[in-house]
Parts: sequence; structure tokens; C-alpha cells
Amino acid sequence: MTDRRLDPITFEVVKNALSSIADEMALVIMRSAYSPVVRDSMDYSTALCDRHGQIIAQGLTLAVQLGAFPDGMRHLLAQYGNDVKEGDIFIFNDPYGSGGQHLPDIYVIKPVFHEGALEGWACTMAHHSDVGGITPGSTAMHATEILQEGLCLPTLKLYDAGKPNTTLLKIIEKNTRQPVQVLGDLKAQLAACSIGERGYLRLLQKYGAAALHPYLDELQDQAERMMRAVIRDIPDGTYRFDDWIDGLGDTPEPIRIAVAVTVKGDEVDIDMAGTSGQVQAAINCPISMVNSVAYCAIRCMTSTGIPNCQGYMRPIKIRAPEGTIVNPLSPAACAARGVIGYRVFDAIVGALAQVVPDKVIAGGEGGPTLLSIGGRHKNKAFVLTEVMVGNWGARATKDGVEGISNPAANLSNQPVELIEAELPLEINHYALVPDSGGAGRQRGGLAFSREYRLTADEAVFTLRSDRRDHPPYGIAEGRAGSPSKNLLTHSGKTEVLPTMPMKAMNLKKGDVFRHISAGGGGYGDPQVRDAELVLADVVAGKVSPQAARDIYGVVIEGGKVDAAATARQRSALRTAAQ
Amino acid sequence: MAERVGYRIGIDIGGTFTDLALLGTDGSLITRKVSSTPDDYGRGIADGIVELLRELSLKPSDIVDLVHASTIATNAILEQKGAATALITTRGFRDVLELRRLRIPVLYDLQYDKPPPLVPRHLRFEIDERMAAGGRVKQPLDHASVEAAAAEIAKSGVKALAVTLLHSYANADHERAVVEALRAKLPDDVFVTCSADILPEIREYERTSTTVINAYVGPVVRSYLGALAGKLKGLGISAPLTVMQSNGGVMTADAAVRKPAYIVESGPAAGVIACAHLARRLGRANVISFDMGGTTAKAAMIEDGEAARTTEYEVGAGINLSSKLVKGGGYPIKLPFIDVSEIGAGGGSIVNIDDAGTLKVGPQSAGAVPGPMCYGLGGERPTFTDAMVVLGYLNPVAIAGGRVKLDAARAHAAIEAEVARPLGLKIAEAAHGVYTLAAATMTRAVKAVTTYRGRDPRDFALVAFGGNGPITAVEIARALEIKDVLIPPAPGVFSALGLLVSATEHSAVRTFVREVDALKLADIEAASRALEGEVMQAFAAEGHDVKKVELLRTAELRYVGQAYELPVTLAPGSIDLGAMRSAFDAEHARTYGHSSPGDPVDLISLKVMGRLAAGDGEFDRWSLASKPASAGSRKAFFGAAGWHDTPVVSRADLAGRKRQGPVIVEEYDSTCVIPPGCMVGLDPLGNIAVEVTP
Repeated sequence: MTDRRLDPITFEVVKNALSSIADEMALVIMRSAYSPVVRDSMDYSTALCDRHGQIIAQGLTLAVQLGAFPDGMRHLLAQYGNDVKEGDIFIFNDPYGSGGQHLPDIYVIKPVFHEGALEGWACTMAHHSDVGGITPGSTAMHATEILQEGLCLPTLKLYDAGKPNTTLLKIIEKNTRQPVQVLGDLKAQLAACSIGERGYLRLLQKYGAAALHPYLDELQDQAERMMRAVIRDIPDGTYRFDDWIDGLGDTPEPIRIAVAVTVKGDEVDIDMAGTSGQVQAAINCPISMVNSVAYCAIRCMTSTGIPNCQGYMRPIKIRAPEGTIVNPLSPAACAARGVIGYRVFDAIVGALAQVVPDKVIAGGEGGPTLLSIGGRHKNKAFVLTEVMVGNWGARATKDGVEGISNPAANLSNQPVELIEAELPLEINHYALVPDSGGAGRQRGGLAFSREYRLTADEAVFTLRSDRRDHPPYGIAEGRAGSPSKNLLTHSGKTEVLPTMPMKAMNLKKGDVFRHISAGGGGYGDPQVRDAELVLADVVAGKVSPQAARDIYGVVIEGGKVDAAATARQRSALRTAAQ
Repeated sequence: MAERVGYRIGIDIGGTFTDLALLGTDGSLITRKVSSTPDDYGRGIADGIVELLRELSLKPSDIVDLVHASTIATNAILEQKGAATALITTRGFRDVLELRRLRIPVLYDLQYDKPPPLVPRHLRFEIDERMAAGGRVKQPLDHASVEAAAAEIAKSGVKALAVTLLHSYANADHERAVVEALRAKLPDDVFVTCSADILPEIREYERTSTTVINAYVGPVVRSYLGALAGKLKGLGISAPLTVMQSNGGVMTADAAVRKPAYIVESGPAAGVIACAHLARRLGRANVISFDMGGTTAKAAMIEDGEAARTTEYEVGAGINLSSKLVKGGGYPIKLPFIDVSEIGAGGGSIVNIDDAGTLKVGPQSAGAVPGPMCYGLGGERPTFTDAMVVLGYLNPVAIAGGRVKLDAARAHAAIEAEVARPLGLKIAEAAHGVYTLAAATMTRAVKAVTTYRGRDPRDFALVAFGGNGPITAVEIARALEIKDVLIPPAPGVFSALGLLVSATEHSAVRTFVREVDALKLADIEAASRALEGEVMQAFAAEGHDVKKVELLRTAELRYVGQAYELPVTLAPGSIDLGAMRSAFDAEHARTYGHSSPGDPVDLISLKVMGRLAAGDGEFDRWSLASKPASAGSRKAFFGAAGWHDTPVVSRADLAGRKRQGPVIVEEYDSTCVIPPGCMVGLDPLGNIAVEVTP
């Protein structure tokens, strides 16, 4: 607390109250949303902004989305700065001009007025199940322009001084294959905004705006100070790392994600020069998401209690040349942009591994695999939108984690039984994959496999995955995780699909699709891994006895580690390597 | 000749103390606190009962009923000390238990680790079979695969087995066949349970987790309750033993042995039930139950005389407020629970300054040993209790009727060195900061059970109990703009009283998942009658008078497409589908702030609950006989209102006339603080009643 006029107790009380409001907003969306991707996968976020439009609290939602609210607010204020009235509610999804990330992510933002003055903002965004475009789910990989991807909303008023914009609502309703889900989810977002407004007003009433302002400002300043302190502890220098996207279609050309992380004193500059140019496909990643993951990656370098407000983003600068895949120009298609965003996170962490190896994590599954299967069944439209996540790479002192959301997201999975009960699909398995975690002194998290069978007559299917040619990296002699794989069995014949098929595929009844994710990268030399831990992995069926012997150099006999044989095997492996 | 007085005993076990409450059919009530015996909790109970019987010159046959709340199941999970457990699943799905729902309970922490699965991977077995979503057999049960799993499980020497097959909520034939086959193969003492018996509901992870927990704690609860029953028999007590469930109803010890997952939160439930009973006695429909002990504080909402319930609960999610956001930090049980939000702030909570330079109270606790610094038992870190001594709220010499001596100087020194100096505050201000902050954290717990459900705390009275509840109650009430605070007599053992007034409950559920417009009224009425019959039969089987059973029907509904349903109470008599639908729209609007009366609605389930009130449960003559306090007054600090010479009185001193705060009410098991500006008196039932001013 630098400002001595502030009471440290009130400060803490206000901070708690704000985050509790943002969580309450998140709860309302989860419980009253209609679409599986929002209610089950929890692909949505909530935040509160202060009177300057700066984030002051984040709900327990998705880091990759939370860091994009600043861009959205900046555009909103630039356009409506002098025209924000009590009872207004703003809506947008445009990645080129309103701070959106891709069209399915619709932002709903409500200003909070107290005694006639604009005091803050209740902010929500949610991934909607369909906003039109060429394929169900609105995430077609093969779109070449955003105009093919569905309904684009610049920053507009969904409510004007309390009056609903029925024209706009009708347009939205007519431009989605899932009007009930989309309008239902929008209602949930609106309700969350009202809840946020109510909570924020309570605080204003309790303390008075003038008394509250210095606390809000100090919250931002404290977050900034703490972030600067974390950065100061990272040695100065420029750390470079390239990570790669496998590329598009049947003959993929690798796409380079280049980062140069420069730490100087208490500031970080992330320069993405050298990154590949934008492409004729839907994976171009608008800058708001790139900013968001970059903030997240740096924020992850500490587990101290930095307040989750915009102040911590201040010492972080991101530069991405226009026209690259990390700062595409309109009208680049971007519906499936997530893969790039998550790879920017991996690349920044990879760069920092060179200098703060104890704080980083080896490569994980690479972000969500995005899958849409849709069509008509029994005269009704159906869409399954899956955002599948699954593992972490290893840490300096801990194994990776299997069965967990990507650290830059906070997604959930959709229950198999709900999918089967509501959609013409069956799930044949959902399981961990042995020997998929990158070997290391600390092992990477295991991959998962999930298999779908269509029971409707036909459907259209789009897929975005990655990490087959460029699997998740290991750190400090840790091995990479296993590559991802997509298998489609169509009319009895099985083919391996590209990671990013550049077309919508037609499925027939009985066709089976299996996605195997990439495994998490390992950390450190596998041959120094505690043999008992290797044994435990073998007992659990997570590592095969053969991999234990060949990669870890651990020989297991009769359910026990054979210490002498292990020593010999490890020595032989070392010799062979030299 | 006067009828012989019978006694019912409530036994509430906590980590530090076991509370006993003895209620006579004549209305007399005696309470007792004895030390818990964690190595064998039953011993402490038996010793306590023997002591009470001797003191009151009662015979074992005078005890007519025992109701028990125990943390045995929770502790088994928290300490990972349940039975070695195996799991059988449909082929392809043994990892569902470990994959969980993927969510991370904390943002931006790359060092996070998940809770380990309660069944390790090598004890999770898959068999060949498959049900379709509607319950149609897609692939018949392959007995050879069952035999193979059975052989492995028998060899593994596990003590418990859970069986969860896909879509068994729709068709349990395969699950039951597997259970039967395995029972035949496994030793008799292996606890076997299947999901259809414990949670026949859609969503495989939650169902599997719940079933696994039932198996995991099964052998532990069975041996504990078995041993306790043996000890009671040894004392000559033949009265039936019942156990409180997490939902506040009681079940027989036999039922608890079969379905131990139902008793995981029996302790916290008891306090809320006591509170609900008190609310009904006072004719107050809406109260917030607030219980603050040594390590945690718990809040729950009572609306229209009923404790609010939930089916979303995670054991060991840590002390958290947003468990409703599927944080993933613990082990989910999707069974009826009283909706209690719990946070790590109690008398023993350690006070410290975190990395950000901000003050924190808890969640680490000094416990009873070493305890707060002022206890002088080796505590090295200042606690909430130390701050209360500095403020003058707690008696600086001794508490618990002189039993626990306090060293006020140690408390002062610790708060000064570790809180005041680092924050640049005066010592009293620092201690008051601890008080304010703890109250603010607890405010969050109260909000989690009220505003998070669309309820306004200002419409409620706050009933505070537990050893530390009465100290903080008024401060919390002020933060939430609540006007009335009530402190029941014997607040320290109030939870145990809840055991004596809890009703016996049985319920039956039928799952529909059908659009309301497509329902036939005759079908749903027939289902309702069948469920009522089932419930009545359950009471009759336990030898109860079914005429005294009160029935409550609820329908759970949601808009088509939603994932979470809301309950609506159905009026007795014939069912009005239109009224049910409108009631749902209204509840949705109330809870979430919006509704869609035009959208189609699904009826998810119909539930009938039967309730049989505990017999002679009115404790009118509860221990009002507190002795007048000896101290006259002491200096106490009230933040902005400064230092006040504050009268220290007993509860009895409040009888007859209201007093103006500041006042401190000292009792054997707690201390109530009434700040300046508030009025305090006694209500006709002996509760301390505070009128809170902002």
C-alpha cells in the first residue's frame, strides 16, 4: 500500500467483494445458459471493469478470454465514449474493429451508473454454438474470408437506455442455426451483467464513489507493482523461441510462431517479428487474443496473489507485425484462431524456460481441439461443438497433469451421457493413452483419446487440431509428448485425417471419428527419473514395461524395480547415446 | 404414577470436542462438551455418556434414542484413508474418474496439482456391455469379461468395489448383474455398491465419483458405526442409533452403513437444522444460519422455515466459496446436501501478511493445539482469538468458565509485531482489521448461499452460534445490512441440539426428462402416487406411524437445452401442470434475473419426500441458568467508534430490559459482542436479540 490514506483492511475487503461479484456473474451464466458449449464446456468469461474501462476483477473463467476485454473496452470507449447512457448494453464480436477474437465469441457489456455518473462495467463473453457461416458451429477451417464465417457484429447497442434493440435481436435470431440456444445464452449473459451491476452498485452505495475510487486505483497499481516485481526477478535479456503449427490441409506447410521475449528491468517486451504471414484459412489470430495469451503467460510466472486486474498487464508490451498470422488484416478468416493463440502461449513459455526454468511448464496438448458435427436429425438441426483439452507438460519438480484444462483456458468436458442423450452420436471411448506423456525426470501428462460414432443418416464435420508434426516440447532433456492423431472410419475404411482438414467432411451413419490428443512434454533426463515413480506408472498402465526399459532405463521384474538390472540398463543407454 | 422420563441424546463429533445434548421427554435439556478421541471416536462418546448417566443418576434404559453426527466419512476422504477400492466401468470409460471435468480451481498457477483419484488406475476395470441413452441394451453383458474382472479384483484384496456403467440411470440391469456376480466372487466383507443404488442420474463423472466415494468410505463407516453400536450395547443402551445425513434428515445406522455417502456433511447439517427449528419456533420464516468454530465458519440459508439444499458438493475442495462454479478442487458428491458454504476462518485461524503485503486471516489454523498464542500452549503465530483479546472482546484472564487461562500480553505482542508494525497501524486498529477482515470473508460465505441464489440477505435474520459466531455476528450483519441478530442459548453446543429436532426423512424420485407440454397428466399423477406409496412403505418398514408422515412433492424443471434444473414445490392434491410451469418461470426469474415463459420446459424429475418430525423435540427449558458474570466492565475497541468502557454481563442480566451497546455478554462457551449503537435484549425463548444499526 503506497497510498497511506488508504486503509489496508478496506482494501482487502473491496478486493474480495469485487472478485466475488465476477464469480457470481460466472455462476449465473453456467446455470442458466442453454448451449452445451457454454453450460458444459464453460467456454465463457466474466469480468468487472472500473470507471476507466479497465478490468478490476475476473471471474474464475478463461484466461485467454479475460485478457481480451481490454481491447474490447478500448474500442467501445473510442466509439461511444460520449454516448454511454444508463440502461445501455453493448454487444459485439467483430475481430476487426471492435476487439473481438472470432465471430462465435459474443461480448455483452453493461455500463454501471451510480448517481448519474459512469462508475464501471459488467462484462461477459461467451462462445455461441452457431453464428451462421458455411458450416454448423461456425468454425469452418476452410473459410478464406471472415465474410464466410457468419454474423459479424460491430460494437452496437443491444439495449439503448433500457430499451431492447429488437431489430438487432431479430437479425441475430435469423442468422444462426441454433436460435434458441443463442438467444438463451444471450439472456444468460444479460442476466450476468445485471448481477454484476447490482453487486457493483452495492459497493458504491456502501463506500460512496469518491471514497471507493482510490481503492480501485490502488488495486490496479498494486497489481502492476507486483507484476513488475516478478519481472524484475527474471534476468535481463532477450530470449527467443520458435514454436510451430503443423499447417493446413493435406500437404501442410509448417507455420512459424516466433517470439523474442525481452526482459529489461521490470518490463517485458514480446516481439513476434518473424512469425508467418496470415493464411487463406480460418486460423488467423486477431491481436486481441494474442495480447490475451501473452498477458496470461507472463502472469503465470508467479503463483503469488496478484490481484486479477488490468494493472498487471501494464508492464507487458506485445508487438506483432500487421499481416502476420498473429495480427491478421481484415478480411482474414479467423473462426478457428484459437490454435495460434495457444501456441503463442507455448512459445512465450518456451522462451522463458531458458531463463526461469523452475517456473515454466513443458508443452501441453496445444490448446483445444475444435470439433463440430452438425446436420439435421428427425427434422431438427443439431450441432455438437467440442473444445477438447486435456493435459499439461511436466514442471521442474512435478510431473505434468493428465485430465486437466489447458492452463490458458479453463474449459470443461461435455458428459458422454448428455451427448448421447441429446444428439445422434455415440461415444465409444474417452480414455487416457499409455506412453503418450513425454518422458523425463518429470513425466508429461498423458494424452486422451475420444471416439464418436454418428447415428444420424448424415452430418457435416469440421475439425481443427494440431501438434502432430510438431509435438509438445520437452524441457531440459525432457522428451516431447506424443503427437496427435485423427482417424476417420468412413464406410468401413479408416484414414488418417490431416490435423487441419481444409474442407467440411460429410459423414454417413455409422462413421467413426477418433481424436487422440498430443501428450504433454517431459522435463529433465528420463534416465534420472526415480525408478519407483516409473514403477508406479507401469503399475497404473500409464507407461509400458517396454518404455520403462527402453526410455527410462528401468527394469521391472515381478512387480518390483530390479535395481541392478536398472543400473546396467541406464548405463547401456548412456553409452548408446554417446 | 408419573410416566417415566425418557431421554434422547444428540452426539456431535468435531475435531476437538464432542458435544452431547440430552433432551428429556419432560422438556429438560442438558448439554456437555467432552474431548474428542480421534484414535477411536466411539470411546469419547461412550465415556461422555457414562459420565452424564452417572451425574444425572440415569439408567441406560432411560435412553430412548441416539442421534449422531460424525465427520468420520469426510475425514476418510480428506486424509485419503478410505478403503482400498476397485471400480468397474463400461469398456472405454475407466478413466472417466481420473479425467474428471478438467476444470482448474485457480487461474494462472502452473504448479497446480489435481486431487488424486480415489481409485488408482490399476484398480479400475472395464467390462464389455453397453446401454444406449434411453436404456436400450446396445450390447449385452459379456459375462466372461465380468468373470475376468472379478478374478483380478479378488486377487487385488480390495475392501470395497464400485460399479458404474454408462446410462445405468436409465437401465440398471447390467449394473445389478455385475454386482450380483461380484458379490458371489468376493469375500463377504468387501463393500459393494453400484451407481443405480446411490445416484441414478445422468452425467457419468458425477455419478461415478459419488458411487466411488460411497464405496471408499463404506468399510470405514461400517466398522465405526459397528464398533459404536457395540460400545453402546456394552453400556446397556438398547435404544436405536440414527445418523444425520448431509441433507439434515436422519437415517438408521443400518441405512448409513449401506449409503455412507449420504452422511458426509452430517456435522454442518446439524447446526442448520437446529437453526431451522429455532426459526420455526420463533415464527420467523427466513433466517441465515451462521456457525463459527475453531477452524472454519459456515453459513446456510433457511427460507420459509426450510434449509436450502443443493446437490452440488465437493469434499475437500478446500475452503472455497465458489464450489458452485465446478472448480474441480475436490471430490464431487451429487447427493442432497444442505447448501452450506464454508470458509477457513475460525478462532484458531492464523493471521498473516501475504506476498502482496495484505492482511489475511486463515485458512491455516493453529487448531486447539498449539492454539492461539494467548493460550500459552506453544502457539507461535497470532490468531483471530489473539486479536479478540487485544480488542477486549474476550476475557483477558480466562475463558470457558475459567477452564482455559489466557495470556493477554502474548496476544498483544504478537499482534503488534506481526500485524500492526508491518501495516503501519496502531495495535488496536490492527486487531480490529483482523476482526473486520474475518467478518468480510464470512460475509462472502453468507453471500454464496443467498445472493448467489438470487436472495437478498437483508430479508433475513442472522442466527449465530458456535464458539466464535457470537463475537462476529453483529459485524457481519452490518456488512450485509441485516437488522436482526439472534444468539441462541448454549451457542457452543447448539449444533448438537439440531440432532434432537431433526426429522426422519425418506424420499423417492422418478426421472422424466420430458417436455412438460408432452406430458400426460394421468402419467405424472400415477407416478406421484407410486412415489408416495414407496415413501410410506419405507416409514412403515421402520415401524413408524405413517399417519404422522408429512409429504412434500417437488418437481425439478429447466428450459429445454439448459443443464441445471430448479425445484418447484407442488401443492398437495391433484397436479396442475400450468401452475407448475408458471412457478418454474417465477423461480427462474428470481434466481437468475430472467425467464422465458414462451420457451419449452423439461420436467427432469418428480420427487416425493416424507418427513416424520422428531417426537418430543421442544426444548423449552433449555439451559437458561447461566450465572451472572463477575466482571463489571472492561475496555474494548470498536474501530471508528474508538475505545469504550464496556459492561460485561451474563445472558441472564439481559432479561427484562433492553440495553444499549456497547455490551459484552460472557457465557461458558462463547462471548457475544454488541458494539455501540446497537440495542440488545432477550427474546421469550432466551435468545440474545440484537437490533443492528448501521
